[in-house]
Amino acid sequence: MLPGLALGAWDTPTDQLLVGLSMNNLLSLDPAAATGLDAMAVACNLYDSLLELDAHEPTRLLPGLAQSWAVSQGGRRLGFQLHPGARFASGRPVLAEHAAWSLQRVLRMNLAPASVWKSYGFTAANIGTQVQATGPHTLQIDLPQPTDPTLVLMTLATSMSALVIDRDAVLAQAQRGDQGAAWLTTHAAGSGAFALQTWRPKELLILTQQADHWRGAARLRRVVMRHMTESQTLRLMLARGDLDVAGGLSAPDIRALAQRPELAVETVRRGNVYYVAVNARHPRFADERVRRAVLRHLIDFDGLAGSVLPFYGQLHQRPVPPGLPASLPSPGYHLDVAQARRLLAEAGLPDGFDTTIRVMAEAPFTGIATSLQATLAQAGIRARIQPGTGNQVYGAMRDRQFEIVVGRGGGGAESHPHSALRALVYNPDNRDSARLSNFQGWRTGHADATLNGLIDQALVEPDAARQLALYQQAQQRVDDAVGGMQPIAVVTDTQVMRRVVKGYVGHPSGATRLRDVYKVAQS
Amino acid sequence: MNLTRWLRAVGGVAASLLGLLVLTFLIGRVMPLDPVLAIVGPDADRSTYEQVYRQLGLDQPLVVQFGRYLLGLAHGDLGRALLTGNPVTGDLLRVLPATIELATLAMLIGALLGVPLGVAAATHHGRWPDHAARVLGLLGHSTPVFWFGMMGLLVFYAWLGWAGGIGRIGLAFEGTVPTVTGLLLVDAALAGDAQAWRSALRHLLLPAAVLGLHSMAYLSRMTRTFMLAQLSQEYVTTARVKGLSERQVVWGHAFRNIRVQLLTIVALAYGGLLEGAVLTETVFGWPGFGSYLTGSLLLGDMNAVMGSVLVIGVLFVSLNLLADALYRVFDPRAAA
Repeated sequence: MLPGLALGAWDTPTDQLLVGLSMNNLLSLDPAAATGLDAMAVACNLYDSLLELDAHEPTRLLPGLAQSWAVSQGGRRLGFQLHPGARFASGRPVLAEHAAWSLQRVLRMNLAPASVWKSYGFTAANIGTQVQATGPHTLQIDLPQPTDPTLVLMTLATSMSALVIDRDAVLAQAQRGDQGAAWLTTHAAGSGAFALQTWRPKELLILTQQADHWRGAARLRRVVMRHMTESQTLRLMLARGDLDVAGGLSAPDIRALAQRPELAVETVRRGNVYYVAVNARHPRFADERVRRAVLRHLIDFDGLAGSVLPFYGQLHQRPVPPGLPASLPSPGYHLDVAQARRLLAEAGLPDGFDTTIRVMAEAPFTGIATSLQATLAQAGIRARIQPGTGNQVYGAMRDRQFEIVVGRGGGGAESHPHSALRALVYNPDNRDSARLSNFQGWRTGHADATLNGLIDQALVEPDAARQLALYQQAQQRVDDAVGGMQPIAVVTDTQVMRRVVKGYVGHPSGATRLRDVYKVAQS
Repeated sequence: MNLTRWLRAVGGVAASLLGLLVLTFLIGRVMPLDPVLAIVGPDADRSTYEQVYRQLGLDQPLVVQFGRYLLGLAHGDLGRALLTGNPVTGDLLRVLPATIELATLAMLIGALLGVPLGVAAATHHGRWPDHAARVLGLLGHSTPVFWFGMMGLLVFYAWLGWAGGIGRIGLAFEGTVPTVTGLLLVDAALAGDAQAWRSALRHLLLPAAVLGLHSMAYLSRMTRTFMLAQLSQEYVTTARVKGLSERQVVWGHAFRNIRVQLLTIVALAYGGLLEGAVLTETVFGWPGFGSYLTGSLLLGDMNAVMGSVLVIGVLFVSLNLLADALYRVFDPRAAA
């Protein structure tokens, strides 16, 4: 190595934000196809949505492309007045017909982002009449079935599927009637504060400032994101000052970096949870006493909170995450081997049994699984850990071919109790043939008519106080009737960034907008 | 070579590649990975899952799926990658130059250091240069390449600041060099961007050195073995009796006779670097062929995997053919 080459080292430019993170889950940028928070983190800077959710107060709706909105017809009609000055990157004005077409496209393509809209009663057949532009800048959404309009508004504020696309730009690239799907996978046609300059999946993504953005130009000229999966290398680059922001660092690396005065650690709480799930359809876990022993008394919650979960999650034992009005404090489950042994003995299993824990081979899942294996052993349960990819673990869970899973899931981005309860514990049809594999409740093979009824009732309850009480009753019901799912912690996402980066506010729903982020020169 | 031999060679290559594809296709179908789930995500509902399952043609019999793949291949279409949404051909053309740039420099480092080291070890058999070369070879070959990579980054990047960090170029230069050949050093030179060129070189040297060290260990051990075999031959004794200098004996006689064997192992080692630099690429965030293939495998992205395997097959066949051609240059008996 030539020493002279070291002379080229410099601080990162102040008009560029340099980000290192894993792009493993970023496979598409098409709002009608992409899933996950990683896609949203990029897409929300390329596209605008009708509404936004306040990053500091995630139950508060803010104007986006819609400068005002109203709920009418007993909560069945939503009306939006779009900002007349909004323009796409192509220069075309953002019209209500674009917003309507964007939502219609989601249902017609029927990919994963359509699920939430289907749960509100929208179909490919009715979306054309239920979502309509009633004027150049007025959009009307009629809800096909009774639901909480606030939940729908939150979906409009947080879901990839609600981003508004430049219809004409996309249709110009359509092939064989694909509605531009192939093109939109790696391109963008939005009105966001940034345009997509380069995207090479699992390699590099570059956003460039839209100088004439309708809200005013972003303060950064470029945002460069590089796919980096090794925590150690992220740490080295941050320490050298070659990166501004790093995500996906391991806990030991975050701890080490937190000691450096030029770096700041930012943690944001997400809406989903880490959980231990058992398959109630499996003979071993069909007995409620066995489930209670494993899920309530053989998880070392406090030990995990102190050792495995820092920077990954915050201890929380209920499906509705903290921070929502209906959220209840954790019921206080703790490791109690003696009680677990008593329950197992009552269930006719005084000597325990053999079982398998499926887990994703990455932190913190493996740490949780290892702890669980040890505590199960204390009660005589011999568990074998079977690590795999997310595809393998959740694939088996979707097929109900598992005994125990340590996983992550829950309500999407909406700050609404229904979102979490529906995703984690709701199961309207427990038959194998129902194949409701998008519900964790169905995957765990446990259905509780009382619980389902409370969740259904709360969703359509117009009175806020009564709705709140129903959601709290639903959570208490989850405590009483031990299902197949035990939340351990609410997921947190930790990023380390240089203190020269200002205005960066991580968003709980993944919609971290970079339009107000800027950098100052290193002092 | 007459026409029959050419046809036989081409037929052999085609049969090998077809066999490779059949095997990869079958392995891909028994792998416990679900490409549909990779696309729709773990929370998709049943109708979405089944729709994508059909769109990918997975509802068709295996024979039909493979037949369609071969039909596309015959038209130069390797299909579309799930991972990137792009045609596989385009993806491979993008990632291969990154690996070629890395592997070529690594091979140069490995060969330029490894071959002389092996020769020195053989000519000093049983003495300290031999022991040193063997220890170095053992270390280079048995130490995991990712450990070398991490240590290299720690020392030369984090502590000394001599090497570039992760990736092929500094983040601030990303997207500033127009792609012409895909070889970043060449493209930066063509663009006349000295700063970008320097940044690319700083980023290339360390991973190439780490990878080259691994090759050096292998090449030095093989060179030593080949040379020891030659140095014990009677013609070497004769040459020494004739009064030739040791340099003439070693390089003019013994080394000339191991060139063909060396060519074979260098070609194979180069092929190995082109398809097997996965760990180095991971540690250094190098967006090359190994990373692409690994990522595709983990997703069950069979179009990308099949295309990659085909490229590996073609690379190895090409390198073998090249080595065959060079045999004829270096060994007149082979040309006869």
